[in-house]
Amino acid sequence: MRAYQDMVFSTAVRLTGNPAQAEDISQDVFLRAYESFDNLRSSPKAGGWLKTVATNLTLNHLTRHRKRWRLFSEIFSDDSREEELEPSAESAAAIFDTVLTELETDERRALVERALERLPDHQRIPLVLYHYEEMPYQDIADRLGISLAKVKTDILRGRVAMAGLLAPGGRPAPDDRRQSPSIPRGAQS
Amino acid sequence: MSSRDQTDEKLERLVGQVLRDQPLRRAPASLEARVLGELAARARLPWWRRGIATWPPAVRVPVIGVCAVCVPLVWILSLWVATRLVSVATHPQLAGPLASLWDAGHAIASFGTITSHIIQSIPRDWLVGGIIATATLYAVLFALVAVGYSLLYRPAYSKVHLT
Repeated sequence: MRAYQDMVFSTAVRLTGNPAQAEDISQDVFLRAYESFDNLRSSPKAGGWLKTVATNLTLNHLTRHRKRWRLFSEIFSDDSREEELEPSAESAAAIFDTVLTELETDERRALVERALERLPDHQRIPLVLYHYEEMPYQDIADRLGISLAKVKTDILRGRVAMAGLLAPGGRPAPDDRRQSPSIPRGAQS
Repeated sequence: MSSRDQTDEKLERLVGQVLRDQPLRRAPASLEARVLGELAARARLPWWRRGIATWPPAVRVPVIGVCAVCVPLVWILSLWVATRLVSVATHPQLAGPLASLWDAGHAIASFGTITSHIIQSIPRDWLVGGIIATATLYAVLFALVAVGYSLLYRPAYSKVHLT
């Protein structure tokens, strides 16, 4: 369990953006693993099995949660406002470039983790499935029960929104958002 | 390729690189204790409060047998109750207040009679053959689904890399 607990927890926390929920899901994953202990004990695929179960249980958890709260999120979400505050794709690329080249590993890790957690579910989940789990767009659409076009839009907007969250203050100032990229916290010193 | 596509592609590459470079997050120290505690709590449960799949075979087989007997028993019992209801409800003193009950009992009894007539009219060989054919088809379907799952579904997920 010790060999895999960080991997299982990371899979869950990246998708949920919530460490407490991720811990609950990780517990379920290892309890299921215990039920299949005889098969997994000597299997070289144990890591892959745990990763798949962690992904599936997290997505099941999120699907249930999404169904429960969809109504409220649709009433209160304001996509136009969200878009208004986002940097352009070009600025976003420059922000990520700065994050990669100018930040120390530990600082970058904390900053990216925080930005990922702050993304809304509908952007974070497809983004994580695409970049971390390397799932194709169509598989993501099938798994989440949404259209292919929506998956592509959410991922693209998720990347841009994440850049906005990596900028100082979490979001770029409206005046700066179409201009040169902001320098992330820490890179200024 | 338009300049917008180039920008989107560059952004995708950079985001992918930033995310892939992220180390695994450390699991909370409490996770292991929670899992072990839950396993210990489950181990303390008596066998009859766990899933039937984990019950001792000496208990599991008779329970399944009893359940198999209970299904036709409940069917026969409900028919008997329905017949009793019809006879009680047709009593002159009770006919008025129990008219709706009589209708319900009569409907159930009629349904049971028709079903039993249909079953009795089917030759025994056909009935046995039908049961065997159904069981065989079920087994074949199960095997097809299992093979399909292992060939089509599992490989797609086994491509997932450990990060």
